[in-house]
Amino acid sequence: MELKHITSDITGEEMYCGTHPSGLGIYLIPKKDYSETYAIFGTRYGSVNSKFIVPGETEVTEVPDGIAHYLEHKMFDQPDGSNVFDKFAKYGGNANAFTSFDMTAYLFTATEHIEENLAALMDYVQSPYYTDETVQKEQGIIGQEIRMYDDSGNWKLFFNLLNCLYQNHPVKKEIAGTVESISHITPEYLYKCYNTFYNLSNMSIVVVGGFNVESVLDVIEKGIKKNEPFTEEIKKIYEDEPSEIAKPYAEQKMSVASPLFMIGFKDTDTGYGGERLIKKYIEVSILLKMLFGRSSRLYKELYESGLINNTFQTDYTVQTSYAYSAIEGESRDSKAVYEAVKNEIERVRREGLNEDDFNRIKKVMWGRYIRSHNNVEEYAGMFMQFLFVGADYFNYHDAYEKVTFDDVKRRFENHFVTERSALSVINPM
Amino acid sequence: MDSLKINDNINLYYVPMTKLKTTSIGVYIHRPLREKEVSKNALLPYVMKRGCALCPESGSVFRRLEELYGASLSAGILKRGGDHTIYFSLETISDKYAPNGEPLTADSMKLLMSMVFEPSAFDNDTVAQEKKNAVDRITAEINDKRLYAQLRCSEEMCRGESFALPRLGTKEGVEALTADALKEHYEEIIKSSVIDVYVCGGADINALAKQVNDCTANMTFIKAQIPPSSLFDGRGGVKRVTDHMDVVQGKLSMGFRTGTAANSANYAALMVMNSIYGGGAHSKLFNNVREKLSLCYYASSSLVRSKGIMFVNAGIEFQNFDKAYNEILAQLDAVKNGDISELEFESSKNALVNQLEAYKDDQIAMQLYLIDERISGTNYSIDKMKDMINNVTLDKVKEAAAEVKLDTVYFLTGKEA
Repeated sequence: MELKHITSDITGEEMYCGTHPSGLGIYLIPKKDYSETYAIFGTRYGSVNSKFIVPGETEVTEVPDGIAHYLEHKMFDQPDGSNVFDKFAKYGGNANAFTSFDMTAYLFTATEHIEENLAALMDYVQSPYYTDETVQKEQGIIGQEIRMYDDSGNWKLFFNLLNCLYQNHPVKKEIAGTVESISHITPEYLYKCYNTFYNLSNMSIVVVGGFNVESVLDVIEKGIKKNEPFTEEIKKIYEDEPSEIAKPYAEQKMSVASPLFMIGFKDTDTGYGGERLIKKYIEVSILLKMLFGRSSRLYKELYESGLINNTFQTDYTVQTSYAYSAIEGESRDSKAVYEAVKNEIERVRREGLNEDDFNRIKKVMWGRYIRSHNNVEEYAGMFMQFLFVGADYFNYHDAYEKVTFDDVKRRFENHFVTERSALSVINPM
Repeated sequence: MDSLKINDNINLYYVPMTKLKTTSIGVYIHRPLREKEVSKNALLPYVMKRGCALCPESGSVFRRLEELYGASLSAGILKRGGDHTIYFSLETISDKYAPNGEPLTADSMKLLMSMVFEPSAFDNDTVAQEKKNAVDRITAEINDKRLYAQLRCSEEMCRGESFALPRLGTKEGVEALTADALKEHYEEIIKSSVIDVYVCGGADINALAKQVNDCTANMTFIKAQIPPSSLFDGRGGVKRVTDHMDVVQGKLSMGFRTGTAANSANYAALMVMNSIYGGGAHSKLFNNVREKLSLCYYASSSLVRSKGIMFVNAGIEFQNFDKAYNEILAQLDAVKNGDISELEFESSKNALVNQLEAYKDDQIAMQLYLIDERISGTNYSIDKMKDMINNVTLDKVKEAAAEVKLDTVYFLTGKEA
């Protein structure tokens, strides 16, 4: 197949891309002189997709929570009993996989034998094999993984916050499910999910690094197994989420050294992707830095009074169906930090945002974008995340240029609403 | 790599990595790991980055970094064998990508040099704040139970020698420090330590050397050496320690003495041996303890190059301790007996070579690799290290494995267990 060649004058990056007749999206980004190559084969399917309508069907399918992650683990069992990791290891590839709320991805990094590693990736992700016995075996390993998270203060802090912010949206559920929910997983459920979400028209492959474009494309084309692309979309069903939060506060005691806090703001301006979503992402990220970043008035005040330390940080998570910003750290008095955050928002609402701060911090967003092209893993990961919300990472500059001080002022009013905020705290035993 | 000698103590190294869009500068101050200064060294970088002649208060440091398109600054402390290294690292987008032609690399070097040679935040308030943060960092180590178990194992294993000293210092040591004592320590060590400056990316090395020289020309230095590291040789016998804590999953950490020093001709064989045993998804521990017996979510081994120590870590159900412990040792015996498949052997070498090659795409990983080599006194280039690994034979792996002896078994278990 012919791929389109795209270049960016601003970053000097280039890409070859196209959609294969099977439906698979192919994105090849060669990096001159790089030793490493990273390939990621992903599906628009994550832990929030337990309810859906298969194209061509009318009935809603509902499957146990945690199944996307379970399925990811089970992709490593092969029909011939071979070990997937061995196939990569033989060629020096380092293989892995992950499941997030909205994505499942299979990947490897390698510095040699890119074609052989890529052939192995193409093959195993398209070779589902689930039996009662192998599905049963995984309960132990995933059960231990869930327990490991049960001991992680930061993990609990995060999910407790999501359970404050969301009443119904499945983003509030643990990615791996629960020991109880995964006990209901069967080979039939796994095949149903696989045949729906692993249809190649729901998947993309992104390759970044020091590889040969022609031979890599050849391996991908030869590696594509028979696939009938869906002509309509998979209907993903989420319960209606009201704009109100579920509850303003959550607290749990765990064996952590110092109390951990996470403050969240629920974003209700959702339901769209594309460049508009990227522009919103830039606006909220700039605001988080203006209000709570290292150079902000509030950070200085809280840091110097000993209420926060270097672990203090902010982050904005954005998907089409949900979005939230989070401010987290350690504090001996989490409630005082939360009050200070709310007071600062009220102060800024009265006194206004500072345009010099905006101009300076907007530069940070540019530096962050330029820097993200360095690491093949980060680059491909960002590229795929943009792709899955309908945006093009090569066009980041367009959205960036459009962000004005007025946009950011409007976004502040819309996003930082204290009624839609919550506090999650983990206290030591 | 180019190297330029600034004076007896200070060297500037340049590794061109222009395929990347950033330039990273790292300053490494080598101190001996010893009781009398461990807590001072651990606190110092955090106070130094709070303010300097160029940016007298924290807010102005952060604003400056933002002006440099969000240059990322990190400062902290490393522990490598007998070396307790204070570091500052600043990464900025390369001048080539500065939208308005700003001299970002020179400005970054200027800020770093001021932080290292003209720190100004030794006032009582700042030092008190950073002391509190330093204590928080020490107590927070308990939050990551996996890492905590290995730190405890290491501490128990090396008790009585300097390597048992915690990287972050001790709570008591930090609390006892005064602003004056810290300032005095700074003034003493800045002129009597080896200081390495690494620049990776795209830069004019001579111009940067001039900047470093201009900042230090009027100072008097006392010639220093890189602190020596010694091989851990243990006491013989096996030490067993169990801690009880409110946890759901048990963490097993086992410390082994390998008898192979970083500068030994057999070190590459030890690396391959560790990779076969527990160095990733191709390893015996992963495939047997996790995959075959479903005993845990993770089981892996790693080397402490500067001390010749190997750790095995696993997260397990409390009641599976014996099963996991026995299997971990059984797999080590398998390696010692040379029960190693062609695939395991080749995969392990490939994984190591792959990892080394990947350092060439990562400026921070490159700096850490070079610093490790410098501290070990070996100074192998990445390509040299790759050759050494490729030349390791199965017999050499068996030889290296034969020297590996269990030393300490640490288990973090539940309150009730």
